[in-house]
Amino acid sequence: MIDPIAVEAPQVPAQPVPAHVGRSYWRAAFSRLRRNRIGMASGALLLFFVLVALTAPLIAGFITHTNYSSQDLTNTFASPLSPGHLLGTDDLGRDTLTRLLFGAQVSMGIGFLAVFVSLAIGAAVGLVAGYYGGLIDGLLMRFVDVILAIPSIFLFILMSILFKPSTVTLALIIASVGWGSIARLVRGEVLSVRTRDFMVATRALGASDARLIIRHLLPNVLHVLIVFGSLYLGSVILTEAALDFLGLGINPPIPSWGNMLTNSETFFFHSRWLVLWPGVTIFLAVLAANLFGNAVRDAFDPRLR
Amino acid sequence: MPGPLLGVHDLKTQFFTPEGVVKAVDGVSFELNAGETLGIVGESGSGKSVTAMSIMRLISPPGRIVEGRVLYDGRDLATLSESEMQGIRGESIAMIFQDPMTSLNPVFKVGWQVGEPLMLHRGESKAKAFASAVSVLAKVGIPSPGDRARDYPHHFSGGMRQRAMIAMGLTTTPKVLIADEPTTALDVTIQAQILELLRTVNREFGTATILITHNLGVVAGMCERVMVMYAGKVVESGPTEDVFAHPTHPYTWSLLRSIPRLDAERHEPLKPIEGLPPDLIDLPSGCAFHPRCPFAIEKCSRDVPPLNRVGDAQLAACWVTQSGTELPHA
Repeated sequence: MIDPIAVEAPQVPAQPVPAHVGRSYWRAAFSRLRRNRIGMASGALLLFFVLVALTAPLIAGFITHTNYSSQDLTNTFASPLSPGHLLGTDDLGRDTLTRLLFGAQVSMGIGFLAVFVSLAIGAAVGLVAGYYGGLIDGLLMRFVDVILAIPSIFLFILMSILFKPSTVTLALIIASVGWGSIARLVRGEVLSVRTRDFMVATRALGASDARLIIRHLLPNVLHVLIVFGSLYLGSVILTEAALDFLGLGINPPIPSWGNMLTNSETFFFHSRWLVLWPGVTIFLAVLAANLFGNAVRDAFDPRLR
Repeated sequence: MPGPLLGVHDLKTQFFTPEGVVKAVDGVSFELNAGETLGIVGESGSGKSVTAMSIMRLISPPGRIVEGRVLYDGRDLATLSESEMQGIRGESIAMIFQDPMTSLNPVFKVGWQVGEPLMLHRGESKAKAFASAVSVLAKVGIPSPGDRARDYPHHFSGGMRQRAMIAMGLTTTPKVLIADEPTTALDVTIQAQILELLRTVNREFGTATILITHNLGVVAGMCERVMVMYAGKVVESGPTEDVFAHPTHPYTWSLLRSIPRLDAERHEPLKPIEGLPPDLIDLPSGCAFHPRCPFAIEKCSRDVPPLNRVGDAQLAACWVTQSGTELPHA
């Protein structure tokens, strides 16, 4: 009798395979992302803002030679390109460039922290709701409905009064609303993945619920988190700037792009650059975040193009 | 003589749907001996897969095992806790599924998945489990297993994936392997290879196999014993040769008769079983097969026939044959 194990398709010499075969989903996605020039440029700009935020004290110490709160009442409203003040000074003679640098710390810090916290809570709730279904799903999703039904601006105002806004508390306040949409998206994706045969097959191997959720479901919904997280960053930066502008977020003397606008609107008619610099910075950061988010979405979900 | 490896006693699994209670498995009993291959045949919806899923305790709501015992190794699987059951699944009883295209997780390398039972049950490290997976992949006939283990499932053909699924089931050398229509989704030449592989596994690992299929040819070639299911009940069971030579339930008889024959006249029409499988929510009275049965007598629509001994080891649940009437040659 023929050895049954040898009953394999006849051995054919290895054929050259196209370059895209043999790559994982992730590698293919990253390679699509790398080919997207606008996306990569936006990513580079975001990275630049992050680096600026991280090195703000160094730049202030060695390049602009000033501090974000050091005032010089003899040199208020200095024009851009004036000696020692590349972007000019404000009503208290503080260096605008230095304040923008430190403002990046606020915007990037809150942006990334709020996105991360929203993703973590949203993913956990979405995975649990989608996986268990039934009553658990019903309760969690109704709670999400409630969260999403609250007008967020009023919630932010209330929270800002209750908690003294700092980078961390403000990020948590924004995340306390942001996780809802993520939970919904993740749950939807889980519902479709959950019914796939490999979930039962893996359960038949003796895997526990926790293992199924964390090791098998999570990697299958990770692309949802990556895409939504990238797109959400821009909206967090904008929300945070708006709260600062309204005086409900980070307050002076700590500079933020939002509260720099608050102070400067008063002086708009004689010192437009005070509005221009933080405005342009916010615009660029949000635009970069959104374009990068779009690029990530195109790379991870090519069907949507 | 030692007792059977696996004993299923009066298993009842029902699904509680808004339309009513679906009696998917309705009092099934059978035994599986060590090293044996048992075939379970029947139409779609006859309860074959639900029986297998019930043994594995993989029935999820709205389904529930409402009655019965599943004895394995002196324990009733139906009463074990979920975490005890996790120790049985994949360790003592493994299961492979119909569609190998969707039964592997698309985001993980095949080797990692094949080794997963070893991580779960033997506490092996990722690297060690991967190495073990490579050697099992070699045993199931994956060429250059060291390289292929690093591939993702979408790089595998259907036959290769089913081999990988079988490898996954075998890593822990379970006592029982349940194969739920393992070849249905594969093309014919690959089917033969996979069946050959299952036969080798059964012989070399001594793994008792439950083979669920609707292909009677597969049963004839693979299984020592066969069990025929209809509407959630066992209607006939026994040694494959006896059942195929002398079917004693009209349903088995009709199934065998409906197989196209090589020696048939050209243009001779196929002989289908008339009618449709019954509605499992609203089963016919008496014997569930009586509306489609060419031999039905008045008693068939009144009383449910018991599964009685009709030969040396053959059982059948039919009033007609139990009253002494012989079915014509199939």
